[in-house]
Amino acid sequence: MRERRGKRLISRKIKENEGYLKQKLGVGVSFDLGYREQTILGQTIQLYYVTGLCETPIIVELLEELVNINDTEVDQNKIAEIIKNRLVHQQVTTIQTMDEVVDQVLTGLIVLFIDGVREAFVIDVRSYPGRTPEEPDTERVIRGSRDGYTENIVENTALTRRRIRDERLRNEMLKVGERSKTDVCVSYLQDVADEGLINLIKSKINEIEIDGISMAEKSVEEFIVKRGFIPYPLVRFTERPDVAANHLLEGHVLIIVDTSPSAIIVPTTFFHHLQHAEEFHQAPLIGTSIRWLRFSAILMSLYLLPLWLLFVMEPTLLPKALSFIGPSEEGNIPIPVQIILGLAGIEFLRMAAIHTPTPLSTAMGLIAAVLIGQIAIDVGLFGSEVILYVSLSAIGGYVTPSYELSVANKFVNVVLVVVTALFGLIGFLVGVLLHILLLANLSALRTPYLWPFIPFNLKALLHIIFRIPIPYSNRRPSIVHPENNYRQPVK
Amino acid sequence: MAITKANKLEQNKHEGAMSLLSRSLLTGFIGGILWSAFGVLFYYFNFTETAPRSFFLRSWLTDEWTSTWLGDVVSVLMAGVTSVLAAFIYYSLLKKINVLWIGVLYGVILWGIVFYVLNPVFTNIPPVTDMDRHSIISTICLYSLYGAFVGYSISYDYHDTVLKQVQEKQQSSSR
Repeated sequence: MRERRGKRLISRKIKENEGYLKQKLGVGVSFDLGYREQTILGQTIQLYYVTGLCETPIIVELLEELVNINDTEVDQNKIAEIIKNRLVHQQVTTIQTMDEVVDQVLTGLIVLFIDGVREAFVIDVRSYPGRTPEEPDTERVIRGSRDGYTENIVENTALTRRRIRDERLRNEMLKVGERSKTDVCVSYLQDVADEGLINLIKSKINEIEIDGISMAEKSVEEFIVKRGFIPYPLVRFTERPDVAANHLLEGHVLIIVDTSPSAIIVPTTFFHHLQHAEEFHQAPLIGTSIRWLRFSAILMSLYLLPLWLLFVMEPTLLPKALSFIGPSEEGNIPIPVQIILGLAGIEFLRMAAIHTPTPLSTAMGLIAAVLIGQIAIDVGLFGSEVILYVSLSAIGGYVTPSYELSVANKFVNVVLVVVTALFGLIGFLVGVLLHILLLANLSALRTPYLWPFIPFNLKALLHIIFRIPIPYSNRRPSIVHPENNYRQPVK
Repeated sequence: MAITKANKLEQNKHEGAMSLLSRSLLTGFIGGILWSAFGVLFYYFNFTETAPRSFFLRSWLTDEWTSTWLGDVVSVLMAGVTSVLAAFIYYSLLKKINVLWIGVLYGVILWGIVFYVLNPVFTNIPPVTDMDRHSIISTICLYSLYGAFVGYSISYDYHDTVLKQVQEKQQSSSR
């Protein structure tokens, strides 16, 4: 067999090709690798495909058309041209090397060999098993579109393209994984997104040399941003095409990984994780008040428990008007231990709820509310105030739009409770100070994490504090360093 | 193409409308208001025995209103104005160092100046040696956050603007 630049070429003898594929692909060993031999105009042709990744009706139609050649054509010398002409499909390409054959077959295309011809035809009849777009569970809205990304990267890019029909929207396909050969798509608006950022992301993706990324977008994220021990989410995930499209228009870059319905949005800051599509579907005033309520809930999930613990430990700190705060009866266990136990209990419930089947979850809710909550107070394990504050803080966590952020906040919350329990006011203050400073010092893909708060940017901060009506949102956020600053002309 | 060019020109005009210095001073003003408001909160919760009003008003005024909410509001505003000066000093000395911790250090130095050097000026503030541990730690925390806020914002803004100018220069030279 001949080779060119280290690549094996397709042989003129079909038996040689067959032997190669048998040895390399395991045709005949792996049951999902199908092959079909036929005789057209006295010549042998062979079809290779992966069962389950191609659409059968189309293949049948193709075969029918091929068999018909025997009845209508006679010119054996032109067999390649005749067959190519009869492949009634919009995506037919010609390939020369066996490596391409292997790649294409495993991607789900069918490859057709003709005895005596040095080329093979590839027909794109892919049809991957998957679900249809449905509303993502974690990002529900009351108004607005109900479609969501699926596990199919082609459908996902199509959902984005349906929202931005701009000729400058680029969907660049890269491949990651020596064995898995997963498709990764980098989407951006060519004349808006920062070119340096695009190149940085592409080079980081190209540098990945791993066998496979079965955990899709999360694995890619870990390669793009080196996080170390930081629990905070450094990129934003979304399953909503409208959120993704909006960020593309603002100049962000979108990374979609095949087999995952979550797209990665970069660059992101802390405050991107506090926003929710719902705010933009309501009147600006309502959107703003929703946002303020959400902010206060998130602050509660972070600081309420350590602050309350502080006031319990040092009641002299409380001003007269608030001196009623603090447990009426101490209980039998120290308050910090009660808080940690309460937090752990809520975590148990949350983890259990993820993989508890729906019929059982009602029973679980009952156990949680009645047994753990009420009885724990009655037997003197918990004080009732502890239950109140722990629940408030847990609800604050559930209000956080980004699941990753709520988990990170919970972690910091526990740390703050511990340092407050150990060192009192000083522990609390130094803990909060370090938390804020470390977050401010964090930067993902050259983007300060607490922007626009620290470093301060008034205009951008106003956009976060208030939900500004779209007609007045003229400028793209400066943090993405857009090459074109305006979303609409300023009147 | 013509549209994008026009946009770019317009964009330059807007950028020029508010210079780096004025943005920095605005950052100083808002930083002063924000963190002195936290100072009021800290005083309310007895984290510290010194409120912003102890510096700006109580040291020379003993009128009734200075110890009410009005005194707090006035002193917070005064802190904002004073903070513009602090931002200006940072802008002129340290704007080129784009490191968060320099800002924190600047805040701590400011704390030292206010509580040690200027201590005789504020008759209502006890000397540091007489203050309790809680007050010292709380005020240092506030000042370092203030320093990080003002300092890092100015440095980052400076670097971002310089970066943009360099890019624009490259673009115009390549055309």
